[in-house]
Amino acid sequence: MNLERVARPIIYSLTAFLLYFPVLIIGILSFNASSRNFEITGFTLNWFVEIVQDRSLFEAIQRTWMVAVISTVFATIVGTFVAIGIHDLTTTQRRRILFLNNIPIVNPDVVTGISLMLIFSLIGLPFGFITMLLAHIFFSIPYVVLTVLPKLKLLDPNLYDAAVDLGCSPFQAVQKVIIPAIASAIIAGGLIAFTMSIDDFVISYFTTGSGFTNFSNWIYSRLSRRSFSPAAYAYNTLVTTVTLGGLLIYNLQSQRKQKRG
Amino acid sequence: MKKYSTPYLIWMIALVLIPILFMMILSVTNTKGVNFEGATFDVSQWSKLTQSIYLTALWNSLRLSTYTSIISLIIGYPVAYWLSQSESKFKSLWLLMIIVPTWSNMLLRIIAWETLFYPRSILNSVGISLDLIGSDLAIVIGMVSIYLPFMIFPIYAVLDKMDPSYAEAASDLGASPFHIFTRVTLPLSLSGIVSGVIMTFLPSATAFAIPQRLGGGNVLLIGNIIESLFKRTFDYNLGSLFSLAVIVVIFLGMRVLSKVDAEGETLL
Repeated sequence: MNLERVARPIIYSLTAFLLYFPVLIIGILSFNASSRNFEITGFTLNWFVEIVQDRSLFEAIQRTWMVAVISTVFATIVGTFVAIGIHDLTTTQRRRILFLNNIPIVNPDVVTGISLMLIFSLIGLPFGFITMLLAHIFFSIPYVVLTVLPKLKLLDPNLYDAAVDLGCSPFQAVQKVIIPAIASAIIAGGLIAFTMSIDDFVISYFTTGSGFTNFSNWIYSRLSRRSFSPAAYAYNTLVTTVTLGGLLIYNLQSQRKQKRG
Repeated sequence: MKKYSTPYLIWMIALVLIPILFMMILSVTNTKGVNFEGATFDVSQWSKLTQSIYLTALWNSLRLSTYTSIISLIIGYPVAYWLSQSESKFKSLWLLMIIVPTWSNMLLRIIAWETLFYPRSILNSVGISLDLIGSDLAIVIGMVSIYLPFMIFPIYAVLDKMDPSYAEAASDLGASPFHIFTRVTLPLSLSGIVSGVIMTFLPSATAFAIPQRLGGGNVLLIGNIIESLFKRTFDYNLGSLFSLAVIVVIFLGMRVLSKVDAEGETLL
């Protein structure tokens, strides 16, 4: 199709522009000598030093990682068992529980945030680390469930029975046979959960308190107080570069292995 | 192994359904926050729904998120389609390239646009001066740049799984490439489109940081209303009413979604 030949480069460049232009600007601003983001006055690496020296920023970053790691580990383990449980239900039961499971995924963050805020204040939990962690576990589990479930469907149902026939207890069968067979999906689910947690702003905003701030909330409060520091850009650039670099190295190495194999 | 799912059911009911029930109660009483002392049945907040500030917010939400979903669909569908057809060995790399920008913090990406949309910006050094803050265009650019991947991936997931023999059969039976696309590929990818539209429409309709930054504080969406009612004026009763309105829309959306995709396989 002729139309396709014309449209393709236009649409691809538009996509690249929309997705990458802001990332590029963040990159530029992390090396900008001026702390005001409307002028470029020169090159500096100061903002990268500032990541560690700005104590409130560094604390927010540490808390972001702490919440992300703990909630991911927890959500991945729980989500895997939940998925195994759901897989065993009848179709009607499964659809019913999946409808509930998918609500936090489809729900806009504002609604999830407020729902959790209301239930936490109803129970009387003090807002801070615990409430934020619970919130992150809550919105992460559904992603793990949705990632693990399709893999379970592909599994041979005789696998579990065979393990039990050979003398495994039901829990051992799950632990020694099913979980290794679905390991790739569990890892993928964990990665999605981690990504969701580390970047979360809105749900954390509604479920935290008593000064417990993560990276996104630190940015938001600094913006409204007009005391934003470009060190946040620098941190973002650092993380993106390290993850991208890690991925490239991983890809190259697995390609090399394939060649050798 | 069924028993593994029972505690989850209870957990989800406690954290999803009970808050909704709680909002229903809050929306018809005059509590002070979550303090029920001396609260009575009161529906006076319902009449506030038609105040012009709220109607404007509703209209802003509908308008801006409709633009966002349509533009994301127009850009996202072809991208998903071409990627699913691609036989390049770099295909997984291209997919990864769509995910990579989402690793940058959402707020920072919004601020990046914001700094460029003021007349005085770093773009001045290349002779450009924009004055877009507060315009629909600014907010829609911000929203599309954030939510576009959520349109591409569900559609890609469906197209990628589609059996190519359908299109081949249509071709053998004499259909033109145009007809193959409109009569076979497009209808079969409907579930991906529905998921994609829901996953871009709902978050953009309820966004509050994006309109706050790119609207220069002058453009209110339903998300800004809910945020300020719960976090600034502490009017939980009216806030609950607005949240419930959003929840009704979500449930309608999920009904549509479950018609085309019963188990949520296009949601990832």
